[in-house]
Amino acid sequence: MRSAAVNGMRRVLPALAVGIAFSAQAAADDPIAWLQRAAKAARQASYEGTYVHTNGERISTVRITHVMSGSEEHERIEPLDGDSVEIVRRNDEMFCRFPDAKTVRLDPRITTRFFPGILGTTAESIAASYDVKLGKTERVLGHECRWILLEPRDALRFAQRICSEISSGLILRARTLNQQGLAIEHYSFTDLRIGPQVARSDLKSIFRARNRQWLTDGQPRDEVASADTGWAVAAPTGFHKVTELKRALPGRSEPVSQIVLTDGLATLSVFVEPNANPGRGAESSSEDGATSFFVKPMGEHVVTVLGEVPLATAQQVARGVTRRP
Amino acid sequence: MTQEISSLMDGELSSPEAERAIRACCTTPEAAQKWQEYHLIGDVLRGGLPHPTDTAARVASALQSEPAIIARPKRVLETTVGRVALAAAASVATIGVVGWIGTQGGQLPGGTPVAKTPTALQPVANTTPAAAPTPKVDPQDYYTAHKQLPAAQLYRPVTNRPAPAAAAR
Repeated sequence: MRSAAVNGMRRVLPALAVGIAFSAQAAADDPIAWLQRAAKAARQASYEGTYVHTNGERISTVRITHVMSGSEEHERIEPLDGDSVEIVRRNDEMFCRFPDAKTVRLDPRITTRFFPGILGTTAESIAASYDVKLGKTERVLGHECRWILLEPRDALRFAQRICSEISSGLILRARTLNQQGLAIEHYSFTDLRIGPQVARSDLKSIFRARNRQWLTDGQPRDEVASADTGWAVAAPTGFHKVTELKRALPGRSEPVSQIVLTDGLATLSVFVEPNANPGRGAESSSEDGATSFFVKPMGEHVVTVLGEVPLATAQQVARGVTRRP
Repeated sequence: MTQEISSLMDGELSSPEAERAIRACCTTPEAAQKWQEYHLIGDVLRGGLPHPTDTAARVASALQSEPAIIARPKRVLETTVGRVALAAAASVATIGVVGWIGTQGGQLPGGTPVAKTPTALQPVANTTPAAAPTPKVDPQDYYTAHKQLPAAQLYRPVTNRPAPAAAAR
């Protein structure tokens, strides 16, 4: 849709070009409006592409196809590293297809926000925790892209940089910076198609035809059900509880309680489970990329906090876990 | 490279040279393959029949299932101590495997070269194991659950409920 004339003009008058692309949807220089558009685009735009996620030692490549059809959101996600698996999502229902085991599992979505849907709450509540500014416009994957800069208002979270494609709003790149300003986590599309050229037929499972018969296991529906875990977490400023549930983890005889907190960008999971070595009293921690990991034995139980936050925040959260009266 | 591996096995290298050769031997699949082949040749010449193996894979997986993979390996490996530890661990692991190969009878191996990746060596290089939350628990499971990544291991049947007959088949 971009004519040569518009492209030429962009070079000369980038500010004007941004204005044109933006149309009436939002004021061109309102960073909150940019955030809103980015969040909306991840849900409502149609797109298909591959992105790379780098977090410390971990690198993963994921193929994603997202199509809005009427009021239904359809998505197909295929991690390209490790064991073959495919997620086909319809609104909040995720079907995970494991071709090696010829099994399809139903897994209700909790907060799943795969890139580029990384904005988990309203732009206003994100702005309560982050100072939001607009950065430069640059060319990314052949698209004009505007950087949105999010500086934390306190030490509880990391700074974020988000690059939003100017005509659709879709996030093409995102990075998390540590307190020293170094990038510790990256998301980046490496190829991308946006708009009506992405059709529902692109969502078709590529594994389905491999096996004639698939086993369907609805059991995880019960395991990952929302539940009252009996545990309370004191959410740090700006964070709120998204959900709590009990889920099965390998090697445990009992389900593990999981409480999920978010500030709209950073997410924390608090796990509480019976302590297999009640005598053990030592805390332990580690950091990898943007993910902090903190284990705190609490008598008969062990609290494990994992999240894309500074370690001190994970520790604060772990120490604020109490039995709900 | 081939000469270096050969000299290393014959004990002809000085210690820094040996360290370099050990490190170099496993950086490419070809070199690692060569390293294994030479040991096999040596074993056969000494009269032992090589062992089938998946031994390498089993050793690697045994190392991986050790607790304490919480700590990042990178920082450790960045230090000189880490490099020396890696080199030493690589030798130890290789000698271990070769020992196995030498003592067991069987066919030629088609297994993965051992001591190729730092991942397999993590627990050796980490002298202070961080406490694992509970035995047999992999920190990766928490990460997978936190990120809500689909992973077959999160659906393993648990002991407190009967495994669905259909899934067990």
